[in-house]
Order: sequence, then C-alpha cells, then structure tokens
Amino acid sequence: MHLERSNLIYRWEKRVFPFLLLLPAFILIIGVVAYPIVRALWLSFHNYNPLKPHASEYTGFENYLKILRDSVFSIALRNSIFWIIGVVLFQFLGGLLGALILRQNFRGRSIVRGLSLIPWVTPSILIAIMWIWMLDGNYGIINDILLKLGIISKYIPWLAQKNTALPSVMIADIWRGIPFFAIMLLAAMEAIPEELYEAAKIDGAGPFKIFTHITWPLILPTVIITTMLRIIWTANHMDLILIMTDGGPGFSSLIIPLMSYHTAYKQLNFGYGATIAILQGLFLIIFISLYLRLLRKRGSIY
Amino acid sequence: MKNSKFLIFFILVLILALLISPIQGQKKTVIKYWLWLDDPTDPMFPDLVKQFNSLNPDIQVEYELIPLAQYYDKLVTAVGAGTAPDCARFKDWWLGAFVDAGALEPLDNYLNNWNGYKDVITNLWTTGKIHAKSPIYMMPHQLITFYLYYRKDWFKEKNLPPPTDLSKFLDAAKKLTDPSKNRYGFGLRGGAGGQDQWLAFMVAQGARLVDRTGKVIADSPEAILANQWYIDLFRVHKVAPPSAPTDAYAQVLGAFQAGITAMMAHHVGSSVLVTQRLGEENVGVVPMPPADPRRPATMMTMSGNVILSGSKNKDAAFKFISWLTEKDQMDKWCRSRQGQLPVLKSVASMPYYMNNIFFKVSLDQAKYAIAWPPLPGVGYISAQLWLSLMQRALLGEITSKEMMVEIANALRKK
Repeated sequence: MHLERSNLIYRWEKRVFPFLLLLPAFILIIGVVAYPIVRALWLSFHNYNPLKPHASEYTGFENYLKILRDSVFSIALRNSIFWIIGVVLFQFLGGLLGALILRQNFRGRSIVRGLSLIPWVTPSILIAIMWIWMLDGNYGIINDILLKLGIISKYIPWLAQKNTALPSVMIADIWRGIPFFAIMLLAAMEAIPEELYEAAKIDGAGPFKIFTHITWPLILPTVIITTMLRIIWTANHMDLILIMTDGGPGFSSLIIPLMSYHTAYKQLNFGYGATIAILQGLFLIIFISLYLRLLRKRGSIY
Repeated sequence: MKNSKFLIFFILVLILALLISPIQGQKKTVIKYWLWLDDPTDPMFPDLVKQFNSLNPDIQVEYELIPLAQYYDKLVTAVGAGTAPDCARFKDWWLGAFVDAGALEPLDNYLNNWNGYKDVITNLWTTGKIHAKSPIYMMPHQLITFYLYYRKDWFKEKNLPPPTDLSKFLDAAKKLTDPSKNRYGFGLRGGAGGQDQWLAFMVAQGARLVDRTGKVIADSPEAILANQWYIDLFRVHKVAPPSAPTDAYAQVLGAFQAGITAMMAHHVGSSVLVTQRLGEENVGVVPMPPADPRRPATMMTMSGNVILSGSKNKDAAFKFISWLTEKDQMDKWCRSRQGQLPVLKSVASMPYYMNNIFFKVSLDQAKYAIAWPPLPGVGYISAQLWLSLMQRALLGEITSKEMMVEIANALRKK
C-alpha cells in the first residue's frame, strides 16, 4: 500500500508535473504563434469579409491561383526584393563603417557612441514625419541644400515621383538601421582578443590585411545573425512606407506586407490578404535558408 | 512540501473564484462610443461627455478616440470580432458596406419620438439613407461642403476676376503659375483624402457617379471627360505643384499658407488656419466653380452618428447621440476647433454663422451639394482604390477611362 502510493507520487512528480510547468509557455505559443498561422492558412482558402463573418465561403486554391495572375503582386514582389536588398546592404555597410570609426580611440568617444543610437531609438512615426518634411517637394530642406550646392536645378518632389519614392523611403530606413549594425558589430569587434592584432602587426600586416584576415572572419558569425534578423525585419516592417507614401504614387513603393494590409483592411478581402502574407512568409523562409546555407559554409572555415 | 502545494492550489482556486464571480457595482448603463477628432487635444468633447453623464446619472458614456486614418479598419475589425461599441461617429462613405452587412441599427423608430427631427436641414436626412426609401441609419451631425479659396491679392495684382466658374478658374490658374518662382495656380490633392476634392470637381462639371435611379454611370463619357479635365490640370496645364500626386491635407494647406499655391479647394474646417496665416483681406472664398453657372454643384460629406446593431443598450445609445445633435451641443461643437457646419436650422441661422463668409458660402452650397453614393464599394474607394488610381493617372500610367471603369466596377460590386 505504502509502496503503491509513493509510486503514484513519483509518477506525478516525474512525469506529469514537468509538463504542467511547461503548460503556460505551451498555451502562450499555441495562442500567439500556432493559432494565427493556422487561422491565416484557413483564411487563405476562404473568401472572408470581417463585416460578414458568417457569409464566408470555401474557395479552394482560388486565391493562390489569383496571385499568379495578379500584376500588382509582381510589382510588389519586385519592390520588396529591391527594398530588402537595398536597405539591408546599405545599413550593413554603413554600420560596419560606423563600428570601425567608433572603435578608434578619440576624445568624447562614449558620447558619440551614445548619440549614434538616436536614429535607432526614435519611434518610426517620428522618423517618417521628419523625413516627409525634409523631402517635401515645395520647401523641404533636402531640396534646399541640394539646390544651393548646385546638384539639382529645381525642387524635386521626391515622394511624388515614380522613380524616387521608394529610394527616398529606403534612405530614411537605412538611416534608422545603421546604428543597429554599428552597435552589434562593434560589440563583436571588442570581443576579439588584442593579442591577435599585436601578432599581426609584428608579422607586418597592414590595416587592410588585418581587417580581412582577423576582424572580418571573427565578426562573421555576428554578421550572419544580424543581417538575417534585419532581412526578416525589413521584409515585414512597412511602418515607414505606410506613413511616408502608403505604397504610392500608384504602386511605385508598394511592398508585399503593405499590399496584404491594403487588401485585408481597405478592400475587406481578408482571404486574399492572408494568401499574400503566407506567400511572403514562404519566400522569406526559402530566402533565409539559402542565405544561411551559403554563409554557414564560409563561416565554418574559422 | 505538501503544505506549500496545498497553499498554491488554494490560492489558484481563490483567484479563479474571484475572476468568475461577477463584480457587483452600481446599476449604470454603460455606453461605449467611438469617435475621431481632427484635433484630439480639444477639450470640447470630454466636456460634453462630462455634462451628459451628470445630466443622466443612470447612463455612463465611455468614449474612445481613434485617428481617422485607422478608424474604418478598427470599426470593421471590431464588428467582425463582436467587440464593436454601442454607438459611433460615422462617415457617409462607409454606410453602404456596413448596412450591407447588417451592422447598423435603423433609427426611424427612435427618430419618430425625437423632438429635434424637424430642426435638421431637410435635405440632409438623405445622407443617412442608402436609397430614397431606405430607413435612416445615420443621424446627421457635422457637414462639410467643398468651396474654393483664392488669393485675393494675387488675383488683384494680375487683374483677374474671382474664379466663379471653371473657365475663369483654369484661366487664373494658368496665369498665376510660374514654376521659376515656385508658384502654382491650384493645390491639387492627389494624396490621401483627395477623393472629396476630386468628387467636387467632377460634379461641378456635371458628371455623376450614379444617376437618379441609382444606376452607376461613373464610366459614362461625361465622367471620363470630367476626370480627364482634372488630370490635365496636372499633366497638361501643369498648374499644380509637381508634388501633387502625393500631396495630402498637410501639404496642400502648407503650400497655400506658404504662398506657393493661388487656389485651394477645401471646407470651413481650414478657414481659421488660412486667414490667420495670410490675413483675412488676402483670402477670398467662392462656391465650388461649376462648368455651367446655371447648374452649380459641389460635394458634401456628412459625419454623423450610428448605433451598431449588436448593441445591447440601444435606447441609451440613442439618448446620447440625439443629445449630441441638439441645439446647444451642436453649437458648441461647431464653434470648437473641430468646427464644421451645423445640420440644424436653429443653429445655422445664428448670427455667428450667418456673418461668417466661410460658413455662409458652405451653408448656401448645402442646398445643392451631392454626397458619395451610399454603395458598399465606396468604403474601399475612399479608403484605398481612388488613391492608387488617381496617382497612376497623374503619373500617366493609366488613362482617365481606365480609372473611371475601375471606379464604376467597384461601385457596381455587391
């Protein structure tokens, strides 16, 4: 009798109790990750209007077939690729340059390090409004400066032209993201043991060689993880575009997440909106896994 | 060990019991009301709510301020999720889609017993219906009619007559445009919210989106021509600033205030900002210039109040929204920084409104102004479709015909 009871307690404590402790986290993950994904998948096979939730119908693969013929989607896809590659590449280059500068010893370095974070900690709505006014076609400061420098001959409506709208928003986003890379790369560089540099100097290596043979290989793991994070964020974040151009003029700065939002909330076509979002997720998974495979091979040499 | 487990169990049960048991409080009817305000810092509305709550101790109005840009999205999602408020501020643009979904409560039975009914300017009850014989779904509250501001001083300088019809408008716009001085004749709004200004110019040319029987005629030759005329202001005559395709209210107002544009189409809501900056003597106002002076027309848009059909406290909700529409409250609202046009005859005839030229021109236009047709597609057109079509038309990517066909298709969609 006594033995049986202790067996029961043993079972409870070893087999059930741990799962009970995991339950809150499990419920949370189901609620905030699994359910939305399943729901989005369900939506993408239905024709769903939130004003008439009971009138939704199963439409099979209709939404997916529609996307293949949708010329707006191919514009958004092209813009998205341009947006992600352009933004992340220049943010990374700017951040790398910033990290190399901030690593030098100069007076007031800690103040400069702190101040350089400002773009990153500014709320995106403020960034967007600030850049809208700076880029204004009638009295924006950027036009004013470029005109006085003689680079342009008349005011340019940056956000109202087909060819300049998306690049203008990209500049604002690049400006915002540089500090993120600068700080992450700086932290990685600070972790490199000083002896390696000393040894290289004794061996007669110049600054360029030191960078390519010591700094770069040792910060590569950080480079991979930060660019990957940034690619995902840049692909999904549409805050600056939404406020600065709302995808316009026409479709010239429309990216996939914004198209999904417009379709769902403005057109009240949640099914098609969800389909667009799911395709974006798939593209991103494929792109990221290719990217990681490519870079992991090179990163594993060291 | 055993003891502590028991304790944890006991506490959990206690918390659960507290959560489940209904919290007994005063028996007040709580009314949830959503609205947007052009100036969210204005104390006018919180004051009104305080006043209403103290006048009606059995009702507690709780309001939520939502920016207009997100308002439609939030209301749609709330209706879908079953978390909509009892009553809400509402735009005529959205009536079609919401009535189609059965989300709004017909107000006729309530209005029969409301003693302010006859005080509302008669023409305006139609803005709360979706066709001539439908019930009234929205109580009119704040009206806008589009008129035209012009720079009196610039017109005088060039010896131009006031732009009272469209040929004088175009002539003046051309003569006042000088890109080398960064000066343009007209502040065309191709960006967010520009559809109202566009519709004003469409109807002023005699074009209509629907005919008297409710048939969609947005793709008729007249409408395509009228739209072409509007596009040509930017593409052919170049009387609008190059930034016009994305200019929204802030940019259009800013350009007029800064002396970049000579004319701006807007409504009474901007009259204080415009005259404060440029001086009353330099700002003229005319009714929307028509193509044919014998057939004046402009667009109006109504923001009113609705009761959501899912509300459990419709009587109390009606009490609140009808109270907001009564004389003193209406007057207070119209004089505030949100001020638009009153919909009550007793308020419109007050000297404050009759002696103000901007109010007077706007109210005179109310007699013949035309609203967006209350069709389900108008929600999508005003929220998104018009903007991307107009911008592509202004950039030369699509023709006027292609644009109007898409608008007509959206209007015809059930």
